[in-house]
Amino acid sequence: MKFTISREAFLKPLVLVAGVVERRQTLPVLANILVVVEGDQLTLTGTDLEVELVGRVSLDQAGEDGSVTIPARKLMDICKSLPDHAMIEVAQTDEHVLVRSARSRFKLSTLPAADFPNVEDSPESFEFEVPQMALKQLVDQTGFAMAQQDVRYYLNGMLFEIKDAQLRTVATDGHRLATSCMPVGLPDQAAQQLIVPRKGVLELARLMTEEDGTVRLVIGASHIRAFTNEFIFTSKLVDGKFPDYERVLPRNGDKIVLVDRLAMRGVLSRAAILSNEKYRGVRMTVSDTNLQVVANNPEQEEAEESLMVDYQGAQIEIGFNVGYVLDVLNVLHSDQVKMTLSDSNSSALLADGGNGAAQYVIMPMRL
Amino acid sequence: MTTKIHQLSPRLANQIAAGEVVERPASVIKELLENCLDAGASKVDVDVEQGGVKLMRVRDNGSGIDKQDLALALSRHATSKITSLDELEAVQSLGFRGEALASVSSVSRLTLTSNVLKQDSAWQVMTEGRDMVAQLQPAAHPVGTSVEVRDLFFNTPARRKFLRTEKTEFGHLEEVIKRLALSRFDVAFSLKHNQKVIHNLRPADTQAAQEKRVASVCGPTFMQQALHIEMEAPGLRLWGWVGLPTFSRSQADLQYFFVNGRVVRDKLVGHAVRQAYRDVLYHGRHPAFVLYLELESANVDVNVHPTKHEVRFRDGRLVHDFIFRSLHKALAQVRPETPTGGGLEQLGVVQNQPVAQGLEAGVFAGQTQVDLGQQNGNAASSSAGYQSQTWQSGLNQPSPQQLQEQTKVYGSLHGDAVAPANPTGEARQVPALGYAVAQLHGIYILSENAQGLVLVDMHAAHERIVYEKMKLSWAGQGIKAQPLLVPISMAVSSREADHVETAQDVFAELGFVIDRAGTENLVVRQVPSLLQHANVEQLVRDVLADVVTFGSSDRIRAAHNELLGTMACHGAVRANRRLNHVEMNALLRDMEVTERSGQCNHGRPTWTQLSLSELDKLFMRGQ
Repeated sequence: MKFTISREAFLKPLVLVAGVVERRQTLPVLANILVVVEGDQLTLTGTDLEVELVGRVSLDQAGEDGSVTIPARKLMDICKSLPDHAMIEVAQTDEHVLVRSARSRFKLSTLPAADFPNVEDSPESFEFEVPQMALKQLVDQTGFAMAQQDVRYYLNGMLFEIKDAQLRTVATDGHRLATSCMPVGLPDQAAQQLIVPRKGVLELARLMTEEDGTVRLVIGASHIRAFTNEFIFTSKLVDGKFPDYERVLPRNGDKIVLVDRLAMRGVLSRAAILSNEKYRGVRMTVSDTNLQVVANNPEQEEAEESLMVDYQGAQIEIGFNVGYVLDVLNVLHSDQVKMTLSDSNSSALLADGGNGAAQYVIMPMRL
Repeated sequence: MTTKIHQLSPRLANQIAAGEVVERPASVIKELLENCLDAGASKVDVDVEQGGVKLMRVRDNGSGIDKQDLALALSRHATSKITSLDELEAVQSLGFRGEALASVSSVSRLTLTSNVLKQDSAWQVMTEGRDMVAQLQPAAHPVGTSVEVRDLFFNTPARRKFLRTEKTEFGHLEEVIKRLALSRFDVAFSLKHNQKVIHNLRPADTQAAQEKRVASVCGPTFMQQALHIEMEAPGLRLWGWVGLPTFSRSQADLQYFFVNGRVVRDKLVGHAVRQAYRDVLYHGRHPAFVLYLELESANVDVNVHPTKHEVRFRDGRLVHDFIFRSLHKALAQVRPETPTGGGLEQLGVVQNQPVAQGLEAGVFAGQTQVDLGQQNGNAASSSAGYQSQTWQSGLNQPSPQQLQEQTKVYGSLHGDAVAPANPTGEARQVPALGYAVAQLHGIYILSENAQGLVLVDMHAAHERIVYEKMKLSWAGQGIKAQPLLVPISMAVSSREADHVETAQDVFAELGFVIDRAGTENLVVRQVPSLLQHANVEQLVRDVLADVVTFGSSDRIRAAHNELLGTMACHGAVRANRRLNHVEMNALLRDMEVTERSGQCNHGRPTWTQLSLSELDKLFMRGQ
């Protein structure tokens, strides 16, 4: 195997593919990436057995066909530190590969390509295409609420639901829930729920970089694949039952408060400074056209802020973990945020003031 | 072989009974000594050969046994201690089953010699044969009783094989005598092993004499590092000595707990004590204590276990709380103070403190005995004026005059008349931890006080101060609860689920809302806010286990405190931070007023004292 490529062309897929590779390995071959040359096509593959990413580049001139695995991080670090526009030549010699560029020469160890694990294929049920930016927004709007290393393993991921020609994402860590949806071109009867693991979700969002490009999503029984022009991304699915988000969404909220998103974010981030640093409770009091936020900490320090809001109705007092509210305000883009409350012990529903596609449920805190 | 039902011979029946009570020489000694004490003896002599296997002789000066009763004394279910069920329920004597002598005599060669007042001569009784026929003969003996047990287990080879070495068996036997010696200060005990006097304890009626006895039983270091406590609540009284957290043991071998004079090793008691020490004891170490709990005998059931090591309290939760609160309070008040000069020095026990005490002998040591509850008025925050004067006087001992002046300055600064109230000695004027001299390698503070040099681990000390402050301010906030959006369901046994239903109020108090979702399923709907990222399932199980056993749980507080401890650790000054004298003195003054400042949150000691005499020894001055 042998090929020559410019540093820039090589680096872009290499960095993304190497990103999938875990730092610490028990299986040595997983620290490597698979490099395959077929004519003028160069393919790089990295995997951690849960997520697989394949990057493709076309070479200016055809190299020698062949395949081998090379230590991912070392190869990436070498290429990164070479001067701009350098030409890189990679050639296999028996047990090693030689990486040459101008007057530099690196000899890297290899492992046979046959040892490299494949993510298993499973029967595919259907596929559809969505704009990359739309998918990225969908994931970004909900990803923050995914649980991290929770014992309820199915919460350490994101639910993708296809129903009624809509793609919906849901994430929850048991304390708050985030969901968002967008229309997709699919027949109405197509319906499926799948849980993509946390790492898969984050990697997928990283790949969505083309402003006008689309991504083709292929849903299988135990995996999800995303095809773009340059990459094929595969993630295994989490086998589990995700909590029923429909039951969690509060239906009986009758007190609707419209607030300016940026103003509210400013108020809360200032109040957060004097909230209890462990559980970050703030008390909100909503009365006619006014929202008051009070936070205090064990040192008896207190922050008090108030804000004009669009609300008419009975006064309501409710406590929140300020971090949960700020997370929501940070991912929304609309000018206004709609809060739907019912009483101080029931969950609150936050939604963006525009089309209301993104919805967030936050449990109050008993203060 | 026919399997007809027949009556067991009395000897065999007794041997079976002996299996429960008589396990080794030590258990024989326990039974015999308890008889002595129940007979009202004021002097007990124990003579042992070959660790008790060859011979055990116990002689007392108690009331003795009548000639007519002697034979009966060796038969089963015969006792003079109780006669009716009512008396059993309010039993005061140590024994009451009437089985001990019969059991012992069935597995050994036992002779019982006794004399009572108004009787011409003493009589001796021994039993032998399958039916344990008693043989009576006259003997010479003063008023009181002697029991001689020879060749224990001579007829039960299985038991004999399980006996350990002479040294081990004697160790167990000695332990029994130690326990009884601690339970009855008014009785004199002596113990001889192979003709050598091991213990000779005189009756102790004053507290000083009692402390001397405790010192000779538990070792003088325990007494130097122990705190005398005495607490009362309606119907309950707890007194005794608890070791400072710095005097911890690697094994739970210095723990004596007496309920109405009876030694117990009870789960409930043990838990209460451990809980009280939790905050101050180094991980994996055990506290040392000699404690006496007195309560109405109607409120405690001692007839739970054949060896009577376990007791049952009528109101376990109350007793648990009382023990915990008493000890917790006592330990909280441990803070550096000028030594009282009382305790052992008065008793003439030689205080031979080696310089490198450290961990040898499995003991943290070095902090001086402290004076409980006597708040030193000087121990407030430091003042620059006060401190600079000290520095002018250099490293010499400040003269009384200077001290008077200093006190004036100090008093005027603080606007209240402090120290002049008792200008008894110089020691009173210098704060317990003295004034900072220097900082060593950015880790330790060296300070000079009346006794000599004080070394303070700056980080550990500050950590404790921050931690105590945090605990105080957080306690005022109450428990906040966070309802869960997605409830956590957990599988438990149906018995545990039952307990959750009955203990709803306990859980609610802790900030939990737990519903039962099925016979073996629970749903947690709300958790305490502070612990929302903790492992909820584990926490609920732990709380449940506590509620089942002790009726209450402080797991939540423990988990809270652990969190606060971590926060305190991060909030405390780190090593290599240069402190100036004002800062160092402020830290020392803070330590003097902070509860439990002798240890950091993890139980490491925060300061140690090197006295002048120890320093002198290092340099062989005056030798």
